[in-house]
Amino acid sequence: MRKMLAAVSRVLSGVSQKPASRVLVASRNFANDATFEIKKCDLHRLEEGPPVTTVLTREDGLRYYRMMQTVRRMELKADQLYKQKIIRGFCHLCDGQEACCVGLEAGINPTDHLITAYRAHGFTFTRGLSVREILAELTGRRGGCAKGKGGSMHMYAKNFYGGNGIVGAQVIHDKDEDCMLS
Amino acid sequence: MAAVSGLMRRPLEQVSGLLRRRFHRTAPAALQVTVREAINQGMDEELERDEKVFLLGEEVAQYDGAYKVSRGLWKKYGDKRIIDTPISEAGLRPICEFMTFNFSMQAIDQVINSAAKTYYMSGGLQPVPIVFRGPNGASAGVAAQHSQCFAAWYGHCPGLKVVSPWNSEDAKGLIKSAIRDNNPVVVLENELMYGVPFEFPSEAQSKDFLIPIGKAKIERQGTHITVVAHSRPVGHCLEAATVLSKEGIECEVINMRTIRPMDIETIEASVMKTNHLITVEGGWPQFGVGAEICARIMEGPAFNFLDAPAVRVTGADVPMPYAKILEDNSVPQVKDIIFAIKKTLNI
Repeated sequence: MRKMLAAVSRVLSGVSQKPASRVLVASRNFANDATFEIKKCDLHRLEEGPPVTTVLTREDGLRYYRMMQTVRRMELKADQLYKQKIIRGFCHLCDGQEACCVGLEAGINPTDHLITAYRAHGFTFTRGLSVREILAELTGRRGGCAKGKGGSMHMYAKNFYGGNGIVGAQVIHDKDEDCMLS
Repeated sequence: MAAVSGLMRRPLEQVSGLLRRRFHRTAPAALQVTVREAINQGMDEELERDEKVFLLGEEVAQYDGAYKVSRGLWKKYGDKRIIDTPISEAGLRPICEFMTFNFSMQAIDQVINSAAKTYYMSGGLQPVPIVFRGPNGASAGVAAQHSQCFAAWYGHCPGLKVVSPWNSEDAKGLIKSAIRDNNPVVVLENELMYGVPFEFPSEAQSKDFLIPIGKAKIERQGTHITVVAHSRPVGHCLEAATVLSKEGIECEVINMRTIRPMDIETIEASVMKTNHLITVEGGWPQFGVGAEICARIMEGPAFNFLDAPAVRVTGADVPMPYAKILEDNSVPQVKDIIFAIKKTLNI
């Protein structure tokens, strides 16, 4: 009984001590930003190309990580729903490729235009729609981004033009504004 | 000894009956063949018969075809005749498979300008013996860009022949006729019909079983109303006819089989018998197959036999929605066909 009480009190006091020491350890061992080298591009009729180094801050890093995790969980759930036949027709997932949509979004502004092929769920999320709207669209509900009429491949958001089922259909020409084809 | 005396005692008729005795023949069990297998058989037989025939399209070779229609063909005929990427060579008879006809819109310039019009433009010098085949029309939940019916689009163009099989017999006979035809032929199959088994009559099992392009078939005889359809809706019409026959209405169901050249004579003869007409199709109503049938009936002798205006039952005039409840209501259902029949007959 006494031994048990002693063990319990040790554990309790240990719990109250650890968080403080952990915070101290964190600020000592982790940096606040990271620098990346980017391979230099060959230039053709340009004076300067894109920068060769970039800095990723801790906030941005955590933000991108959170976005990627959200997309991953959303895609895994969509996979489950597809196997249960709650999502019908086609379901092209990007679990494993989250960095494509998150990285692309990191490089552009919300006012730039984006169009992609049928693997569109991740891009729909990074362009600003909520997971709820995306999953509602996949399950054919009125609360979905296209009111349930578009499905997996036809999701639209502000400055995001889908989602195209026909391969090659996303190749368009736009001279005036920044337009990303993905 | 006893047996011989028994024979002697039997009257003459019985003995001659013994001599005439034959083996008892049971009718062979009806062979059930799915539409997919029928198309596969048809292509296999034609590939065997003519070495100039070859198949090309997305995933047709090692993957056995996106819908498994070309299963086993690559193993049997090899890379030279079952090709995953398109090429063009003179003198050959290609079968070009589209994963769905929606993708044919990317190639529609070639289908129309290079295939359909060439024989005419060359003054008869350059025939184009090519077959374009693949699933057409609505499937299940594939949404707007993968559900369009192209019967009206291709049926519009001179220089093309367009066929639309419903069951396995149609599928085999029409694909074989299409391959043997020296003109470009568009074969509009239906993905939802691929796995459906039908009774395969014995003449269809022959290697020379052909269904002539340009001839419709009366699937069900009737007296009160003519119901004309092509592809999957033919099945729905037959179901509707079964339901209505309990109420005393006998529908004559015509399976068009060919969209272009249309067999208007069969439809006219039927309308002159029944005096009422409805058309059923999965495609959009405007400028569609039903519209063409109604126009031709008006231009021909059958118009004077109509007791009521012809009614078209078509898909809804919207891009195909994704949500199941919307999709189900965007294609003609049995209840829509029954409603149209009763409306035409004023019941």
